[in-house]
Amino acid sequence: MGHLFNRAALALCCAGWLVATGPVLAEEAKPEPKPLKLTTTADHAKFKELQKTFNSGPEVTKACLACHTEAAGQIHRTKHWKWEYLNPDTKQTLGKKTVVNNFCISVASNEAACNSCHIGYGWKDASFDFKSEENVDCLACHDTTGNYKKPSGLAGNVVTKDMEFPPGSGKILKAIDLSKIAQKVGKSSRDTCGACHFFGGGGDGVKHGDLDSSMSAPEKELDVHMDATGLDFTCGTCHKTSSHDVAGSRYSPTAKDSKGAHLRGKTDNGNPATCVACHNNAPHKSVARLNQHAGKIACQTCHIPSFARGGIPTKMTWDWSTAGQLDAAGKQITKKDAKGRIIYESRKGDFTLGENVKPEYVWFNGNVTYTLITDKIEKSDQRVPINKIGGSPSDGKSMIWPMKVFRGSQPYDPVNKTLVTPHTAGNDDTGYWKNLNWDKAIAVGMNTSGHPFSGKIDFIKTEMSWPINHMVAPKEKALGCAECHSKDSRLAGIQGVYIPVRDNNKLLDTIGWAVVFLTLLGVIGHGAMRIVTARRH
Amino acid sequence: MAERIYVFKRFERFWHWSQAGLIMFLMLTAFDIHGTYTIFGFEKAVAYHTTAAWTLIGLWVFAIFWHFTTGEWKQYIPTTEKVVAMMKYYLVGIFKNAPHPFRLTTLRKHNPLQRLAYLAILVCVGPLIWVTGVLYLFYDQWAAWGLGSLSLEWVANGHIAGAFMMLAFLIAHVYLTTAGHTPLAHIKAMITGWEEVD
Amino acid sequence: MKLATTLAAGVALSLLAASAFAYDADWKRGRVYYRSVCTSCHAVQPIGTINPSSKTKAEWAAYLKADKHAKGKDTVKQYVSKAYRASIKSGNKAAEKFADTPDQELLDDVAAFLTKGAKDGDSPASCN
Repeated sequence: MGHLFNRAALALCCAGWLVATGPVLAEEAKPEPKPLKLTTTADHAKFKELQKTFNSGPEVTKACLACHTEAAGQIHRTKHWKWEYLNPDTKQTLGKKTVVNNFCISVASNEAACNSCHIGYGWKDASFDFKSEENVDCLACHDTTGNYKKPSGLAGNVVTKDMEFPPGSGKILKAIDLSKIAQKVGKSSRDTCGACHFFGGGGDGVKHGDLDSSMSAPEKELDVHMDATGLDFTCGTCHKTSSHDVAGSRYSPTAKDSKGAHLRGKTDNGNPATCVACHNNAPHKSVARLNQHAGKIACQTCHIPSFARGGIPTKMTWDWSTAGQLDAAGKQITKKDAKGRIIYESRKGDFTLGENVKPEYVWFNGNVTYTLITDKIEKSDQRVPINKIGGSPSDGKSMIWPMKVFRGSQPYDPVNKTLVTPHTAGNDDTGYWKNLNWDKAIAVGMNTSGHPFSGKIDFIKTEMSWPINHMVAPKEKALGCAECHSKDSRLAGIQGVYIPVRDNNKLLDTIGWAVVFLTLLGVIGHGAMRIVTARRH
Repeated sequence: MAERIYVFKRFERFWHWSQAGLIMFLMLTAFDIHGTYTIFGFEKAVAYHTTAAWTLIGLWVFAIFWHFTTGEWKQYIPTTEKVVAMMKYYLVGIFKNAPHPFRLTTLRKHNPLQRLAYLAILVCVGPLIWVTGVLYLFYDQWAAWGLGSLSLEWVANGHIAGAFMMLAFLIAHVYLTTAGHTPLAHIKAMITGWEEVD
Repeated sequence: MKLATTLAAGVALSLLAASAFAYDADWKRGRVYYRSVCTSCHAVQPIGTINPSSKTKAEWAAYLKADKHAKGKDTVKQYVSKAYRASIKSGNKAAEKFADTPDQELLDDVAAFLTKGAKDGDSPASCN
């Protein structure tokens, strides 16, 4: 009995050995086995709930919420959902829903177009239900296929059957396969964030200057952190998100982070997206002098030598006042520059574009005050700031920051003295882009946004500042000293700080050289006389 | 036959020439930093200037020690004696081949004008440059040192003013080395240590 | 009859898909490899860079199936192979980063990127 048992055990062991070695042998024949997914604990393709045809975005969301029960509620609390933000310092109510800019100007009355970048489905006008859970768009941020698209004009909805849009245009919007996309959901990526943030202002790289599609898989030269073959940061690596609320805000930026590097276990309510949040306040190891500079100069100033470096131009100016020109046949026209880039459109006016643009530099303390539609503005030689950048050399909170300053001319109401919110996009009789009629477009737009309009229209010069944060160059490409310490300093406009060389005292130089030359003249004269008198003797 | 006396000892000569080299290098880099010309460029010039400055400070530590242990510091005590005579000599006598009013000894190796000039450099121009230079280097420590109200602009301008004075001194000094009984006599003395005295 | 053919074609297609996509191709890795390895070399050679959007999905599929690089002088596969990556990894960060990726996976990744970025693909792409 005992023997039998032993034998059986031996046989089992042998079988076990065979079984164990079997796959090894098989592996040698077939060397590359199907790998285990290590980046996630849940392969969404295996979920029954997602193995079906989805006919709309909200159907997918319902499936998501079946497991991720709290997700929509978390989203509801965020700027990305509300497009509304109360600035705690200025008490201004901001957010995309409210602010007016000098690109496409404003969202109100243009929701169907603009809100293709809203993380929801169906925001076509003020009636949108912000409490709806199924209207939250999970896929906008969690798609990994790169195929998820929300075409402009559909109020953030997706296309699940090929359709002609705008109706009668002959242009076909292709359907996307929501089932495949839903089964492949994953973490947000440069591509998902970029789907909106790279294309802000109506096209690739138009708005920010430091964000465009070249950042989806950048080389080290373009962004040392996002380098696709190197550190490969996603946006979320710095914009560390918790409860679906993405950190790092342009409405109330952290201009000076004196809190130092964030540590695990340390209670830290600071902004995790600052340079300091990882690099601390004295990051230069070998040259202490550079750490001294970091007391007054934002890291970005030296480490982002120029923006729009990825081969995609950014818009630098936009003159709406020249919009509306037609060709002889009465058709809208488009003008292009030598490189084939659009610099004039009848529906938008004149643009200028820039690549490898040197930023402008200002003192910035993180306070940004917007000129809202309710604020009075005066036409003058000074441009009206869309967002006034707070800061001074002496407030102890300001640093020297790089900015993209976007200048434009846009319609305003000269009687009520306010900016206006024109109805631009839309396949209707009042949309400016279709009919080129400011009177109708502004009347409808102002009615929608609920602000008084006198009926009079003029154009006013405005400027908007965009702090530059991305496209951080490798350290070898950071600004050299002489970029600022020279007579044609990059910081020529920065007041209130003494910058050696830039601020050489002319009088002192004149006196100094005069003393030196007089001394030289004196000794030459003295020497000459000695030579002459020596000969005479 | 002229008498030869040993005026400049070995350390003193080493000190003089290394200091001369360093100061000239500091001048070269200084005006590069200042933007007068570009040889190394701002960044490198600053690095070289700083290194040379610390080297010179090190040299000075030894030199001060040497001056006090040997008592040579007394050579710099100013005197009014023969100052007028020296000035008259440089302004008039030197052209008439008049005799030098000062007679060199090992205990009085500097003429009265030299004493005054070197003392001025030692107590005015030197400290101006060194104090402003060190402040410049430790700009970010000012608050910690209780000097928060200091103005970088004044410190910088002080440093620059000092540089101009030093340059003027250098020119005059180099020229006056030729005012010995032969044009190269003083330089020879600074190399060998031996000066011929009439 | 028509239904039957459609069904049959459907089954055949899904089988093909199942066999071709046994490995879940990562188009992003394909994108990095294509742009960092293929493009970097092509950029300096007479033929110049080739945008994924310069061919249709069918053309790319045919090209990869034929496996003829430089008009048949060598193969496409060899430029995705571990051996090739090992040979250029000292000067190419993508080759270094993906040094240990199995050949077939990386080839599938590149194929996925080309399919996606083709002229008629889901998002036509350029080479950089």
